[in-house]
Amino acid sequence: MRDVQTVRAADAPAGEEILRLDGVHFAYDHHKVLVDVGLSVRRGTCTCLIGINGCGKSTLIDCVLGVLHPSAGEVSIDGAHVRHLKPARLARKVAYVPQIHERSFPYLVDHMVLMGRTAHSRLLSAPDRDDREFARRAIEECGIGHLAKRPCTSLSGGEMQMVLLARALAQDAPLILMDEPTAHLDFKNELLFLETIERLITARGVTVLMATHAPNQAFHLAEAGVSTRVAVMNRGRIWQEGPPRTVLTEEMLRAVYGIEAHLLECDPPPGGTRPIRQIVPRRTLRAERPGL
Amino acid sequence: MASGNALPVPHIHSAGRRVGRVAWKTVAVLLFILVPLACIFGSLFLGRYHMTFSQVVGALFPFAHISVPKQVSTLVVQVRLPRALAAACVGASLSASGVAFQGVFRSPLVNPELLGVSSGSGFGAAFAIVVLGGGFAIYPLAFATGMFAVFMSYWVARVYKKTPAIMLILGGVIVSSVFSALVGLMKYVADPETQLPSIVYWLMGSLSAVSFEQFWALIPMGLGVLVLLASSWRIDVLSMGDKEARSLGVNANAYRGTIVAGATLATAGAVCISGVVGWVGLVIPHIGRMIVGSSNRRLMPASISIGASFLVIVDTMARGLWASEVPLGILTALIGAPFFVYLLKKTKGGDWR
Repeated sequence: MRDVQTVRAADAPAGEEILRLDGVHFAYDHHKVLVDVGLSVRRGTCTCLIGINGCGKSTLIDCVLGVLHPSAGEVSIDGAHVRHLKPARLARKVAYVPQIHERSFPYLVDHMVLMGRTAHSRLLSAPDRDDREFARRAIEECGIGHLAKRPCTSLSGGEMQMVLLARALAQDAPLILMDEPTAHLDFKNELLFLETIERLITARGVTVLMATHAPNQAFHLAEAGVSTRVAVMNRGRIWQEGPPRTVLTEEMLRAVYGIEAHLLECDPPPGGTRPIRQIVPRRTLRAERPGL
Repeated sequence: MASGNALPVPHIHSAGRRVGRVAWKTVAVLLFILVPLACIFGSLFLGRYHMTFSQVVGALFPFAHISVPKQVSTLVVQVRLPRALAAACVGASLSASGVAFQGVFRSPLVNPELLGVSSGSGFGAAFAIVVLGGGFAIYPLAFATGMFAVFMSYWVARVYKKTPAIMLILGGVIVSSVFSALVGLMKYVADPETQLPSIVYWLMGSLSAVSFEQFWALIPMGLGVLVLLASSWRIDVLSMGDKEARSLGVNANAYRGTIVAGATLATAGAVCISGVVGWVGLVIPHIGRMIVGSSNRRLMPASISIGASFLVIVDTMARGLWASEVPLGILTALIGAPFFVYLLKKTKGGDWR
């Protein structure tokens, strides 16, 4: 019974809408980056944003973060327009995990995570004891309790990404945006990061919008029982959006990435219930121009 | 079973540790308040004219009814005390501004003169000496041009619609070099017998001419330092970079503007009392980081205390070491530069703990 439900959850959108982009346009001077982007993200899901370099993924994320302002169209979170929200109000709705954090000073890990509580403290005041407790719990949830008193300059790339995830969690925002969070991680740390995301979505009910260069991550999340969606961006537009099985196809990879790829599927591994799907890229297609 | 037995133990432990931490904190806070005061008090004894403990106490507290020769009490109250207080305030302001600038510009190699406040003030002072004949006009003019230089750096940085840190640094480089050129021009046209020495002396930094008349500059300095103390948590957040700061709920441009304004008030006030005293704003924050760590809520007050003590000690050396006074700015550079090399070696350029 429970298995059937989670299998369904993996394919169907769950919960009400939390993020909505309507006809969003954005241009740097005359270079159009986003063209009529529409996207809807529902609570408790993970949406993987994929597409070639420069297709507009990061710009889309910046528009949701309020760092960039769309020239037309509307970004709304929980029904509130992003451009009307002050940074602190917005930060209570959206948290952010960057691709890589440029370390400046050797802040201790628990101090770094505590910074996630900034939006919850009043003007000019610093986080209080409740905030410290919040940060401590976020650190525990990300499984980095042993790092709490280490300076962040001494951490490895994988440990640092977990710290940033803990900071986003401490922010207590229902939506977490991630911009290629696993781009610099090795196999194990990438898996560890994905497993933590899974846990946060299924146990805590957070919503994740994640730009990624690894489409297989969407399969992985769906196999783990997370309600997963894939949005493919191409030349500033959302090319296709849907569950991983229907979107991540050999035709899509040929059309968007200009590569020949094979979709492999094998039986559930021992102890698993779902078949394993993986995309294996084979070769680039020179004859066809990518991104058409 | 295990959790039932284990729970109370860590509770007791953490309570004990908390008490220990509070006690340690109190000691640290007391030390950071007492050390600068002790330095100021100690500097009153030192100098070419030696005096006893009771003479200094008698001069400081007339109601104690200790008979003190007139010239001794004048020396203590009118010369050494204002000078020690000014040194403490200048050291505190420069250090606080250094901490703020290093945090906001995300670099441990930044000093509060980054946006041109010193060269601006230098030009103001030189202009006052050459064109207005010196005198009291030097101080307000140095203050005003210092503020103006930073304002110009901001204006240059606004070629972009926003003011990212890197554009501000570039603006600071441009504006600094313009004002340095103008200082050069002032030196060129100055009377080499009278005006040129005053300009050079001012640019080397000194507290020898300080009296209570210049203490109006403590108002902008105090105001600036208060702004910096109040925004120290936001400086931590800003040092994450603009995008992360914004996603954490801090309007990076607005807060950077506020913090730069506070630091500029403090630095311009300091520069117009003492002239250009380099290295304090660069080195003291690093010493602070070694002692209390990187969190600006601790680092800011700690650096204020260390900077105040440091400059009182160095200024006492400046007036007492040799028969003729050594310019303060030269002494801070001679002490600061090698010390900074030592710090870089010890910390390998990055990790300060």
